[in-house]
Amino acid sequence: MAHIWPIGGGKGGSGKSFLASSLGHLLAKAGKRTLLIDLDLGAANLHTFVGVPYPEKCFSDFIAKKHLTLEDVKLPTPCSNLFLISGANDTLDIANLPYEKKIKTLRAINRLNYDYILLDLGAGTSFNTLDFFLASRNGIFITTPEPTSIENVYRLMRAIYFRKIRHYFSAAHFKDLEQKVKQHFDEISFSKPERIVSVIRKDFPEKYQLIKKDFDTFCFKLVINQMHKQDNIALGPQICKLIKTHMGMNVEFAGNIAYDEHVHDAVCQRVSFLDRYPHTRAANDLRDLSKKLSASSGEQLSLNYL
Amino acid sequence: MDKKFSEMNYYEMLDIRPDANAAQIRAAYNYALQMYQADSLVSYSFFSQDERREILALLDKAYATLINEHEREKYNQELARNGILDVMEKSAQVKKEPVNIFDISKHKDFFAARRTDAADLKMKIEKNERIRDILGRSVLTGADLKDMRTQLGVTLEKIHQETKIRLDYLRNIEDDKTEKLPAAVFLKGFIKAYLRSLCLEPADELAARYMNSLPGKN
Repeated sequence: MAHIWPIGGGKGGSGKSFLASSLGHLLAKAGKRTLLIDLDLGAANLHTFVGVPYPEKCFSDFIAKKHLTLEDVKLPTPCSNLFLISGANDTLDIANLPYEKKIKTLRAINRLNYDYILLDLGAGTSFNTLDFFLASRNGIFITTPEPTSIENVYRLMRAIYFRKIRHYFSAAHFKDLEQKVKQHFDEISFSKPERIVSVIRKDFPEKYQLIKKDFDTFCFKLVINQMHKQDNIALGPQICKLIKTHMGMNVEFAGNIAYDEHVHDAVCQRVSFLDRYPHTRAANDLRDLSKKLSASSGEQLSLNYL
Repeated sequence: MDKKFSEMNYYEMLDIRPDANAAQIRAAYNYALQMYQADSLVSYSFFSQDERREILALLDKAYATLINEHEREKYNQELARNGILDVMEKSAQVKKEPVNIFDISKHKDFFAARRTDAADLKMKIEKNERIRDILGRSVLTGADLKDMRTQLGVTLEKIHQETKIRLDYLRNIEDDKTEKLPAAVFLKGFIKAYLRSLCLEPADELAARYMNSLPGKN
């Protein structure tokens, strides 16, 4: 079964597509059959990063036509071993993917036969993003060392956490839970899933055990992108510690990527950054990151709600 | 997920081991401040203002308690009473202290060994006629000192180690190389130290005898 790495970050411009394309590139170069899927529905541009300016097929085709599989809509890229499912020509209403189509997509992704599948997710915390992120236990969060970006990545983490808890309850039970949370805390509690968990711990102990067991198997990763020289390099580990202490979620710090003007140049020239500038600091960081990520991704567990 | 921050004990809050020393506590507190302070990037937007205030107050209290030995002892006892940390308490008793590099207690048998050495030497001196003969003379030279030392079976290096007198000085003294000896005021002290390390008594008088018998003196 393929290793699935969803890449999400909350804020736009934090480097999700850049990281997806770079990691895909490195994995493919290392001889792994790698597939990039552009799931930034409605704002897809991963094809531009990997040098496929005019994709003939796209993700929408798979959604619209019953007889097509994901395998049918994949495209080769200039880099051998690296394949792309583009979102370039997606229909304009793709951003609001209906539930059954989403489940269809998730099932199809799970059946694909590759070494690595990287999912480039959109900004924000729509259900689509959350569910695609939860397609694997090895999701990668990416953020820049700026308050705006950090704020959004925390929000994404909490949304994912909340979504996961929600899976454990039926609609009626969840209403019940909501009532109890309201009794214990104030109105803002729903933006703090850790409070909800504390109520679950008290009132639904058997559910709490299940959720805890599930969360312990998660091994999310955190990448800090665009690290300037003057930034605090301990930021990543500190964020992971904060998440662990206050939310009980395992997020492993994967590494920093240095800020590099060359990335901008490479994107403007529409060439692969790693090919164009292989000896810059950011390129070195990416190679380290790729090594670390492939070494630490545990076994792939199937989705529990399919 | 198991515990809220306010339910943690102070050691867990600061993320330190129960046997942490003062320096480690201080470092952990600074690290925590980096994470929880209002202007920290790490926890930006993670907490509401009230939550942050509460956490910072708890951290302050944890630090103030643990850094004060008396308070910490009380707190440890309280934890032990609640049965939270009986393992902790045990390890807390073996507190890590700064290690004194000149810690005498490290060589516990050092003084004992020296005492037995001294007793031995005194015995030997009493039994040895030759030494008593030398001590009975009114003149004492470096050669005599060397003679007595070899009779007692003590190496020059051992005297050097005990008295911290440079080896070449000791050799010059024993070989009577008067031109190479240090100034009289130092020499007298050296001789006394030498005699004492061999347990030859009375050191003061013997040293005076040696000084008087130096050729330069007359």
